[in-house]
Amino acid sequence: MLVKYEFLKILRKKSTIIVMAISLLLTAFLFGLPILQFQTYNQDGVIKGFDGIAYEKEQYKDLSVPITDEYAAQTITEYQKLFENPENVGYDGSEKFLIGDAYWNYVAPRENLLSMIASAYDSPGENSGFNKLPELDLTDGAKFYQSRNEKIESLLNTPSRDMSTEQKEYWSNMSSKVEAPLQYGYHEGWKIIMSSFELLMFALLAVCIVIAPVFSGEYQAGTDSVILSGKYGKTKLVTAKIISSMLFGVLAFTLHIIVAFGLPLAAFGTDGWNLPLQIAGTTIPYPFTFLQATLINLGVIYLVLLAMIGLTLFLSAKMKSPYIVLIVLVPVLFIPLFLSPNGTTGAYNLTLFLLPYRSTMPEIDKYISYQIGGIVFNVLSIRAILYAVLTAIMLPLAKLGFKKHQVV
Amino acid sequence: MQLQLQDLCKQYGTKCAVNHVNASLSPGVYGLLGANGAGKTTLMRMICGVLKPTSGSIRLNGKTIEELGEQYYSHLGYMPQDFGFYPDFTAREFMLYMAAVKGLDTKTAKKRTEQLLHMVNLHEVANKKVKSYSGGMKQRLGIAQAELNHPLILILDEPTAGLDPKERIRFRNLISDFAKEKIVILSTHIVSDVSYIADYILMMKNGQFLLSEPIETVTEGIKGKVWEFLVDNKKVEEYSRHLSVVNLHHENNMVRLRVVSDTAPMADAVTVEPSLEDLFLYHFGEDAQSERSNDYAG
Repeated sequence: MLVKYEFLKILRKKSTIIVMAISLLLTAFLFGLPILQFQTYNQDGVIKGFDGIAYEKEQYKDLSVPITDEYAAQTITEYQKLFENPENVGYDGSEKFLIGDAYWNYVAPRENLLSMIASAYDSPGENSGFNKLPELDLTDGAKFYQSRNEKIESLLNTPSRDMSTEQKEYWSNMSSKVEAPLQYGYHEGWKIIMSSFELLMFALLAVCIVIAPVFSGEYQAGTDSVILSGKYGKTKLVTAKIISSMLFGVLAFTLHIIVAFGLPLAAFGTDGWNLPLQIAGTTIPYPFTFLQATLINLGVIYLVLLAMIGLTLFLSAKMKSPYIVLIVLVPVLFIPLFLSPNGTTGAYNLTLFLLPYRSTMPEIDKYISYQIGGIVFNVLSIRAILYAVLTAIMLPLAKLGFKKHQVV
Repeated sequence: MQLQLQDLCKQYGTKCAVNHVNASLSPGVYGLLGANGAGKTTLMRMICGVLKPTSGSIRLNGKTIEELGEQYYSHLGYMPQDFGFYPDFTAREFMLYMAAVKGLDTKTAKKRTEQLLHMVNLHEVANKKVKSYSGGMKQRLGIAQAELNHPLILILDEPTAGLDPKERIRFRNLISDFAKEKIVILSTHIVSDVSYIADYILMMKNGQFLLSEPIETVTEGIKGKVWEFLVDNKKVEEYSRHLSVVNLHHENNMVRLRVVSDTAPMADAVTVEPSLEDLFLYHFGEDAQSERSNDYAG
């Protein structure tokens, strides 16, 4: 009963409705933007919006195949052969590239596939596009997976990464679990989701704004003395306030997720949910599909959300007004937005990757690891642990803060 | 049932808001009188367990609040001064919410809510949001919530502040109805509110009890110190400057003054039976007069 009334207290406020409406609209706009801005090209020009999406999906139909070494070799050979005809080749003074029908009929429909295959032959940090493909020696086959593994090995041994033996072993082991051959296919909707997670920060902030008055609002309104002198004022009521805040936070955030993920998936389709992440980046070590990676990162974000609700409730129990709560909270959430990592090691970077804003980003291609003794954690695991622990610490502190509150 | 205040102190920095207060209260209506800043609200907050005393203890039948925990709060009804409501709740929702906070089961909560909303004459507007209520309606809702759990200890902090005379009388009657077999502590600086319904008077000044007496005998200490006499209309102001004037009454071209004074203010002044208001003025002097003028102006 108390949970019901506390939940009602949150829902009934005009400010709740206003904040949620603004936040949902903003989320819809931000996640809808890639749909509005989507465009692709063919020989006739630009194809925008849903026509463009349909056209691109059509192009992928023939490309939804397992990328075996043989398939990679065949694709590269076909590409190389087109260079044999001088009419197909353009030159800008530094590099050769395909032009005309050769470009529109062969390269344009499979530009992403070619990029993905070509990237396996780049050194870590290098992005040569298709430049290396015409000269690639295919005498012993494409050696696509061998090249990928060598690239990862070289990446792990890059001196600037300063990885311990345990960390190298951890990532090699994880990377070896990626199943070959990689299944290729259309995955635009998931690609947008994977690259837009941080936009959910606004939803997170909106939830915090709404629950900031849960305790401090009672102090501000002068209702604290009546409820604290009630039988359950210092016991069950505090628990009810925490449960209702959590419930509201999770439901409101889920509504944002439905909007945020629903829009790109509705427009681009759910195609690609079961495809491996490596088709978007060959050196990604996590052996997940797009759906798995999305759900795992979403799980981490939910833990960030719970910890932020915990922190908001703690501040709310300690401070006299919801505005002061937000003055403290907003910098915690948004200052990291202005801080950029300068690598993947060192206390600064490793801390930055754990702050709430950065923690919404999956950073799946960065090999960020944390070593405690001999145990290595990847960034997703350590975030999950950290925010679960923070939640477990903050909630009892919030409870205690309200219980000990003095009506002065 | 006995509520004991033992050597109760509340200190804010160097200021002592409540200073070594001792009292043993049994069922009855206690009028807690004192000027603003006397420590009444601080004392009541400590009794309600929402403010921790710096030292001393509050015991119900020998056990401290801490020992009793929820059991103590289940016997408590509190209507704080100027307390807030949830503007987006209706009166009925507010009552049901408070009933849940007070640990009433759903059935009892509904029954008590309807009973009390009838008693305080808010049943017809029970589904209206509290933000649309007048000050008097909010005060009535305030006392209704305090009474939800049939408290054995009912604490009312300035319940009549800001009410018009008609509302004030209605409120006094409500409190009388609720007071049976309870310890009711009613704080006010409006003497007439307590003179009708209090069984005992607790007078507080500078954080201490000045006196604690049954209402019948509370004025005995100032017997022979309340005077009435007639003065010329033009001299009223001069007398008011030097004496504690409780009342003045125009009679033809003269004015009858009622003053409290240890000695006769004039040769022809006669002593009269002291009232609670005289007692209040005797102890609080100018503080009381300025508060009275504020109250009546308001």
